[in-house]
Amino acid sequence: MISLELAIRATEMLLAFAFLLQSIEHIRAPKNEQVLFIPRIALSLLLLIGFQTAWVCLALFLIALLMLHRFQGPYNGGSDRMSLLVLSCLTLTHFMPTEQGREIIFGYLGLQLVLSYFISGWVKIVNPDWRSGLALQDVFRFSAYPVSDSLRGWADRPQILFAASWAVILFELIFPLSLITQPTLIFGLTIAAAFHFSNACFFGLNRFFWIWLSAYPSILWLQGRVFGHIGLFS
Amino acid sequence: MLKPFFKTFGLLLPALIPSWRFFDEIAPSPRIEYVLLRQENEEGRDWKEVKPRPSHVPISRMLRRMIWNPDWNETLFLMSCAERLMAYPTDHSQHEILKRTRTWLTGQDMDPKATPFLQFRLVFRARLEEEIEEVIAYQSPVHPIAEQLS
Repeated sequence: MISLELAIRATEMLLAFAFLLQSIEHIRAPKNEQVLFIPRIALSLLLLIGFQTAWVCLALFLIALLMLHRFQGPYNGGSDRMSLLVLSCLTLTHFMPTEQGREIIFGYLGLQLVLSYFISGWVKIVNPDWRSGLALQDVFRFSAYPVSDSLRGWADRPQILFAASWAVILFELIFPLSLITQPTLIFGLTIAAAFHFSNACFFGLNRFFWIWLSAYPSILWLQGRVFGHIGLFS
Repeated sequence: MLKPFFKTFGLLLPALIPSWRFFDEIAPSPRIEYVLLRQENEEGRDWKEVKPRPSHVPISRMLRRMIWNPDWNETLFLMSCAERLMAYPTDHSQHEILKRTRTWLTGQDMDPKATPFLQFRLVFRARLEEEIEEVIAYQSPVHPIAEQLS
């Protein structure tokens, strides 16, 4: 079972790496962006090496608020929201006065990770367009996401997209069951990472891949904390 | 004085209590189109897409984009601005689209002396029954390219 301290440290390192990748992309941006992202790069490096991580997280959180104000919302939708969630939980975890408080906050992050898959699957399965594969055809045919025109050709392969739709829906819905044992969870997270990787390749959503990865230690810890404590599975 | 604080907190809240409704429906999808004008009231607009996607992206570039993807991530931000402009119009969204379009055009051998005015519009694509329909949902005022934006 992974300890809370190790899971927090792993989250810090993965989050720092994700923030570095995000921030370096703004290095040639206008000055009013650079004033946010250059300090963010420096703080991410400090977080990566483990220097004063509580205060560094707090400083990164304040920069995140300034970024929200600067862009009047997240710069990159869902991935920036997940960045904020991971950072907020990490910061609060550091400043919680009790061990139980730390566990509740860090466990909340793990729970949200599970919900991120399960609810995404639920909203798809109740939509007839997703069940028929039409929604995924629409994504390829006219949405702004495919990174090249040649990828739009996938819209004309309805049988493949029907199978892909159901693969995504079923995976997202049954993901919570992977929590039963650590090996099944690791298997589930590997599939999930492959899913994010394919989204990054096809739709250019590379930020999702790295930031979701940064939340994986929280669910690995939570699995051990819940099922290891019960003593049935570990 | 407290208004910006509450506004930022309002933007933070959906991150702390997320809905996770990714792709629950495939909404009408925005494209940003621009036109360069010689005169402010020039007739006949030759609209072109801002930052059009390439016809093909090789696997090697897809892999490189896992760690370095600034252009595409900016394109996604512009899509967000386009959606925000329709949902709750603000100067911020309009200025971001204008500024980033202008910066992109600067790298496209644009001659600001020949065409000193810029206009953009938002075209939304959606499926209606079996057909893909396009709707021009917004057209900006004509702006001088040299205009300073906040």
